Amino acid sequence: MATVNITIDGQKIAARAGSTVLEAAREAGIDIPTLCYHPALPPEGACRVCLLEIEKQRTLQPACTFPVTEGMVVHTRSEKVISARKFVLELLLSDHPLDCMTCEMAGNCELQNLAYEYGIKESRFPGIQHSYPVDDPNPFIERDYNKCILCRRCVRACNYMNGVEAIGVVYRGFQAKIGTAFDGYLEDSPCEFCGMCVAVCPTGALIPKQRKGQGREWEFKKVTTTCSYCGVGCQFDLNVRNGRIVQVTSNWDAPANHGLLCVKGRFGWDYVHHPDRLTKPLIKKDGAFVEATWDEALDLVASKLSEVKEKYGSDAIGVLSSAKCTNEENYAMQKFTRAVLGTNNVDHCARL
Amino acid sequence: MAEALYRANVLVCGGTGCTASGSVKTFEALQSEIARRGLENEVRLIHTGCRGFCEQGPVMVVYPEGIFYCRVHAEDIPHLVEETLVKGRVVEALTYKEPETHQAIPHYREIPFYTKQQRIVLSNCGLIDPENIEEYIARGGYEALSKALFQMTPEQVIDEVKRSGLRGRGGAGFLTGLKWEFTYRAPGDVKYVVCNADEGDPGAFMDRSVIEGDPHSLLEGMIIAAYAIGAKEGYIYCRAEYPLAIKRLKIAIAQAEEYGLLGDHILGTDFSFHLKIKEGAGAFVCGEETALLASIEGRRGEPRPRPPFPAVKGLWGKPTNINNVKSYANVPRIIAKGAEWFASIGMPRSPGTAIFALTGKVNNTGLIEVPMGITLGEIIFDIGGGIPNGKRFKAVQTGGPLGGCLSAQDLNLRVDFDSLKDAGAVMGSGGMIVVDEDTCMVEFSKFFLTFATAESCGKCVPCRVGGKRMLEVLTRITEGKGRLEDIETIKQIAAGMDAGALCALGQLTPGPMLAALRYFENEFIEHIVDKKCKAGVCKALVRARCTNACPAEVDVPSYVSLVAQGRYAEALEIHRRHNPFALVCGRVCPAFCESRCRRGDIDEPIAIRSIKRFMADHEIEKPWTPPVYEPAKTEKVAVIGAGPAGLTAALRLAQKGYKVTVFEKLPVPGGMMAVGIPEYRLPRDILNIEIENIKRAGVEIKCNQALGKDFTIDSLMDKDGYKAVVLAIGAHQSRKLGIEGEDLAGVYHGVDFLRDIALGNPPDMTGKRVVVVGGGNVAIDAARSAWRLGASEVHVVYRRTRQDMPAHEEEIEAAEKEGIIFSYLTNPVRVIGENGKMTGVEVQNQLLGDFDRTGRRRPVPEEGSNFVIEADMLVPAIGQGIDLSWTDGSGVEANRDTTLVVNDALATTRPGVFAAGDAVSGPATVIQAVAQGNRVAVEVDYYLRTGKVEKIPVVPGYEVVEQQFNLEDYAEAKRPQMPELPVAERRGNFREVELGMDEDTIREECKRCLRCDLEWLESEGLAFEPVPDHLLVEDRVE
Repeated sequence: MATVNITIDGQKIAARAGSTVLEAAREAGIDIPTLCYHPALPPEGACRVCLLEIEKQRTLQPACTFPVTEGMVVHTRSEKVISARKFVLELLLSDHPLDCMTCEMAGNCELQNLAYEYGIKESRFPGIQHSYPVDDPNPFIERDYNKCILCRRCVRACNYMNGVEAIGVVYRGFQAKIGTAFDGYLEDSPCEFCGMCVAVCPTGALIPKQRKGQGREWEFKKVTTTCSYCGVGCQFDLNVRNGRIVQVTSNWDAPANHGLLCVKGRFGWDYVHHPDRLTKPLIKKDGAFVEATWDEALDLVASKLSEVKEKYGSDAIGVLSSAKCTNEENYAMQKFTRAVLGTNNVDHCARL
Repeated sequence: MAEALYRANVLVCGGTGCTASGSVKTFEALQSEIARRGLENEVRLIHTGCRGFCEQGPVMVVYPEGIFYCRVHAEDIPHLVEETLVKGRVVEALTYKEPETHQAIPHYREIPFYTKQQRIVLSNCGLIDPENIEEYIARGGYEALSKALFQMTPEQVIDEVKRSGLRGRGGAGFLTGLKWEFTYRAPGDVKYVVCNADEGDPGAFMDRSVIEGDPHSLLEGMIIAAYAIGAKEGYIYCRAEYPLAIKRLKIAIAQAEEYGLLGDHILGTDFSFHLKIKEGAGAFVCGEETALLASIEGRRGEPRPRPPFPAVKGLWGKPTNINNVKSYANVPRIIAKGAEWFASIGMPRSPGTAIFALTGKVNNTGLIEVPMGITLGEIIFDIGGGIPNGKRFKAVQTGGPLGGCLSAQDLNLRVDFDSLKDAGAVMGSGGMIVVDEDTCMVEFSKFFLTFATAESCGKCVPCRVGGKRMLEVLTRITEGKGRLEDIETIKQIAAGMDAGALCALGQLTPGPMLAALRYFENEFIEHIVDKKCKAGVCKALVRARCTNACPAEVDVPSYVSLVAQGRYAEALEIHRRHNPFALVCGRVCPAFCESRCRRGDIDEPIAIRSIKRFMADHEIEKPWTPPVYEPAKTEKVAVIGAGPAGLTAALRLAQKGYKVTVFEKLPVPGGMMAVGIPEYRLPRDILNIEIENIKRAGVEIKCNQALGKDFTIDSLMDKDGYKAVVLAIGAHQSRKLGIEGEDLAGVYHGVDFLRDIALGNPPDMTGKRVVVVGGGNVAIDAARSAWRLGASEVHVVYRRTRQDMPAHEEEIEAAEKEGIIFSYLTNPVRVIGENGKMTGVEVQNQLLGDFDRTGRRRPVPEEGSNFVIEADMLVPAIGQGIDLSWTDGSGVEANRDTTLVVNDALATTRPGVFAAGDAVSGPATVIQAVAQGNRVAVEVDYYLRTGKVEKIPVVPGYEVVEQQFNLEDYAEAKRPQMPELPVAERRGNFREVELGMDEDTIREECKRCLRCDLEWLESEGLAFEPVPDHLLVEDRVE
């Protein structure tokens, strides 16, 4: 690996050639705060929280976009840097509802964390705040742009991860906001509700509607699991509170999907707790289904299959499996069909 | 086909400015007139690009004579063709007139607007037909391209541009050649050349004019750049709001392609280059290069952080060279004439010329090209012709809405990239907006800040939110709701934006305000603390411009409106609330109100002073006993000096119930009103009526009481029991010239001269030759008095020009009528005499040198120009000082200029002693003294009630008097002239010169008032009919 020698806060580092200062610093365990940066997205350089002092540069430079060069000397915590960061945070808070007490993202909000870290209780620069209506009627995503800090992670997620380009920045200057074309509802846009925008949002501006009022961030137990909808094998984290799923969050380390999900994986888990869901086998007796034990049910199925196979031959049996099952389950199913039932009549529903 | 041989060429400007003022119609009229007369084969008509002198548009030049005609409209054409093109005569009515002397200057080459310019980039503009490539070629066009392609390698071209020292004309001033080299060296097969023609500054049209007037110079520069860096494709990013520029570019590209100068195999070589136009949608931020590239690529026009720079990773991720229009347009000249030639022009580190769009409050607005290093003063006063309507220069904004302003103290600044930056402004792309004294710098900063925040793309936080917050604070200040800490907040936001914003737009957004704060912080503080906008611009702080301009804030609209209705007594009552000297000021006031009158923006200001005089004269028979508002108080106050400041202070304190005694050194009360202003301007009996009024309020006036001789401050306060003293001693000591012979007999200092006349001891002047030195009112008063006393010859010698004279214009005119001889740019150096008696004055001519802090050119002695004016008397009137002989041990301190030291509550260094009038401000006017008298009374009252000394802001109360006449009736009305005593009847007496106007004239004149005070009410959301009760208020103290 080609490296370049740089110095960050007096610490000499052999940084990966072609990396940014932020990457080099983080790889060396040096913390630089960020807001618009997300490791899964191309850097934007918009929020100005990662500004650093780089020697020989006239102005402060963003760590997230500035490439490392040989001999570079960087200061991440100089007085100038700290005051620039505080300035940005104070400006952001001057146009942000300070309702962390009731905000769903409290405890997991990057803005809140930075305000805490830099001890910003109130802004020196109070002024007019936006008051956008929170009224998008879609069933999945709550869009509260009063909490938006315009880091544009959602836009990049939509454009670069999903390639849908449903949202972008509309208007200019202080009026700039995230919106669909003509600033309408998501339903009227090409949005596929994959929820990647929600996954990357650093504040409470974008949250799954399902989780509203379902608990605080720190109460959630994360359970990594594999999506049961299709055969890709996407993994994600079920956020569970009191034995019930509250939301699905991206697991950025998942080998198959690297955090990406589709609408089904992210929002389609409500069936889990559905009252109509079968939890016990049913056997039809006298024209009506009657609850049975597993042993009873399996015995019945085994005897009936044996009976059909004996009477009409193996090919009289067909097996239909489900795309909602895992690969392993489907493998087991076809093995059973071929080896036990002795037929190749096996298929599955392809997709849901 | 052989072209006809024309005997005359008429070049009609078709630039944007002249097109807006109607040059297309002028051109068409010219065409049809030429055709009508069958002159098509003799006279050629050319519609050119911009000639720069937009203020005078539509302009044209007739060759071969080079006659410059301005403001030529279609109806002027038949006469013009007849006279000039048929008979060969100049039509003087259409020639340019020098704004101050009104002298006609018929020839293009002699007009000062052009003589100081050096046109390199604009050398073809206004001269060639921009839609004809052959005219460009005939002027040497595309020679540089051929030289580059056939005689130079790309490296040599880059080296030539580097050695020329050309710096980017977009504003940042980066070395163009170096930028080319970066792109040239960047690895990659595909490279681009891009021209930034996204000119978006308000009032700037440099790039536009170059494209419209000489598009091929841009193309040639770009083709050469493409050859140098190895590009095959290029873009011109031009805003869609420039349709003419785009049209001419398209024509130029098509013609260049047709001539093999653009496209494949240029001039038969292997070099190919294709050029496309990208029309921008007009976002200001797209002038930022990375935003511009994003826009070309079809993305939202927003900047991105650099590095990587476009030279490495630009358009579509390929190495890209971006330059401004003017940078490219310079290139063909540099290649053709050589780097050394270019480097020899202008300044060593900023070679070449600068193009400015000169706009705002300057006589000659337009487009100019000047060598770098020319001074700011030369641009504004020589090329720009100075400030219109005799107003004072205040500031100039360079670099557009992201630049900064410079003030009068910078007029000698050499204009180039580095000096402007050092001075806190920026070169920018070339906008230059001049403002005069009527501009409020707070509002001015707000204008640019509003623009910059509206144009912010909203990407980075410092610009998106910081700019908005700054604008909110500034808006608050202009509405009178500011707090002192707001200035610090602005500076904090500015520092944060400069350090943290993503692109130059955000970093430079605070620039105009910081520059304004640097030079004009007082104005910000006035808005915040005093709730005043002296320029009369910020609506929430200004009732009407006249009232705002009046130092005593007299409610002009109300009394003018009442006079219109014949309600003279009520009108006078309103006047007296702020100024008890209506008879006096109706005669001698310089009428600051009139200089700011809104009607004056349309035709001429309302004759407010004449109205005032009529109103006061009408009520002259009714003695006024000023109302006393408060119960009698026990405290006694002494006022020293019975001039306008002292008498006003005494009156106001008496009206508050104090027992007031005025001590006057001279045998008569009135101060300068009595012994300074000659009787022909202010008759003594008129003055005495108003002094008697003040006495009726209970004020006691003791004359012949000199401070330091007959009494002291100690004796007043310790012995006589005065609890407070107001020093209103005026400035009654003449300044000395300090030249040889000033002690000779015959030298009579101005103030002493006027005082002796006023007190009945005039010197014998009969047949004497008199020289008065100075340019103020005292000098004119002395000259006109000497003339009245029988002097045979009266000279006024002044070291500056007539325009620089501080005396009132009407006084100067009257003196001229009376035969006073004025010698400008002349200064005495020696008084010549025999036997102790003067016989003449040796004077020296002065040349105009650098600009001083007042924006006037400093007179510089011209060596060897001395001459003698034979004279029997010399009256120096070059300024007045204050008699400080009494100050030792008084506890009252003075400044170096002899004014008294006071704080912002007008308190002197001794507790209980206050000061007002000329003794504080230096020599000023009656109304300024009255204003200080009003103010000092408030302060003294506050001190006596609380024992504290604090500045008490007073917001003037007002009434709303309905408008009772029809707006339509007086649209055409003209300002009347004051009837005067004929000059022949003035000699040998001091009879009043101005005779006053009659009732009908005055009442009609009042109706010319536009009542802009009512507009203000409306802007605050208040209806002015019927008048809301809460608006009828007394002055309130905040």
